[in-house]
Amino acid sequence: MIKHIPHIILAMVLMLVQVFLLDNIDLGSSISIWIRPMIFPIIVLLLPTEWNSIWVLITTYIIALLLDLMLGGSGLYVVTLLPLAIFRPALIYMTTNRSVDSSDQSQLLARIPLPQLMFYVALSLLLYHSLFFIMETLSWAYFFRTVATILLSTISSLIISWPIVRIFTSKLIF
Amino acid sequence: MHRLLEFIKRIYVVLLFLLLEGIAIWQYATSTPYTEAKILSRTTAMGGYFSTKITNIDHFFSLSGENNMLTRRIAELEQTLEREREMLADYSEDAWKRKMHSNNEEDLHYIYYPARVASMTISRLRNYIILDKGERDGIKKNMGVITPDKNLVGYIISVSDRYSVAMPVINTEFTMGGCLSMTNYTCSLRWNGNSPSHVDVIDISTYSQPEEGMAIEAWSERLPKGVVVGHIDKCELNAAKTAYSARLRLAVDMSALDNVLIVENTHYGEIEKLMDDIEKSENTKQ
Repeated sequence: MIKHIPHIILAMVLMLVQVFLLDNIDLGSSISIWIRPMIFPIIVLLLPTEWNSIWVLITTYIIALLLDLMLGGSGLYVVTLLPLAIFRPALIYMTTNRSVDSSDQSQLLARIPLPQLMFYVALSLLLYHSLFFIMETLSWAYFFRTVATILLSTISSLIISWPIVRIFTSKLIF
Repeated sequence: MHRLLEFIKRIYVVLLFLLLEGIAIWQYATSTPYTEAKILSRTTAMGGYFSTKITNIDHFFSLSGENNMLTRRIAELEQTLEREREMLADYSEDAWKRKMHSNNEEDLHYIYYPARVASMTISRLRNYIILDKGERDGIKKNMGVITPDKNLVGYIISVSDRYSVAMPVINTEFTMGGCLSMTNYTCSLRWNGNSPSHVDVIDISTYSQPEEGMAIEAWSERLPKGVVVGHIDKCELNAAKTAYSARLRLAVDMSALDNVLIVENTHYGEIEKLMDDIEKSENTKQ
């Protein structure tokens, strides 16, 4: 339990930052429709790789459920965050060429090179933002606007979350 | 059961994911009228698409049964039509009454039996078709064989208890007369052993003026009128300019033959006996 305290703190901090800060920042309506950073997917991405996939799924479900309650998502956060949990091993393998099923799984994210880690985070954020905005609009009428929102929001989320990822994956914390 | 449990144990994470995702989608779909309309319209369209596909597959597997049923129905209808034709042709009041109240098949000129092709050859000079109906189904030698849409296939040459063998048009020993459709100009059919989709027609009268595309019907005591053999592909006057000969594109695709009708001319025995008597009397004269 003690070794998971950093993850619990990270989850609480990121959720609070998202709910009270990022979702309440007034960038003006002309910017807000294009840029909507979401950093809470980082919680799922940084869950211990040695965890059994069922625990990853259940933890993700609880986080998504809390976000739905706090942000009034009506299931939208569960719908979009659960695929990230189920595809996480595939994303890690695609971006780092390392399998989470191999015998030495502990601190896998702390050991992979920075460019691969960034690729993993960026690709996962892109996947999450794509799912989120497609499910939110549920229409192809504003296709290019949706694509632009996905890309700009992914970039802004990556810029905000990268320092957190770096701090968290540094060996000092693990 | 053990294997099923093993399988579920292997994919239980995916199953749980699908369950949670499904609940969440349902919750999200019913949260606002907009999402309800959007998601439900998509799922309805998707459901309709898969339902159509499943129905099509189901329909495909029922086609064989439907074909059999249709062939049986065609045989019944042909028989009824034959009865009506004969009633119209026979004006005497007694004969009319007799046929109106008769269910006896012997009163009919032609009787139709549905059958299916059990096996056949098309690549030899002497091709044969084996049909799944035999003596116990009422099949006899010299009965005609046609497709349900009234195209000529051949005639029965041998019968066993359960099966019968038909000689198709594409057999070099096949002999049958033909006539130009809608006329009484007769001709002879023969197959030269080359293409399974073409036969030769000889001795077409010079008065008939045959043209490409004209239909040739079978002219035989084994078959009713109106059975199409094929359509003229090309025709030419013979060297002596006494008759036309033509190349006929068969109306039936022999390679895709399945359901057929076997036709019995109930008067065939009578005709055969007459012909035998004539032959015998001619022999005694000689």
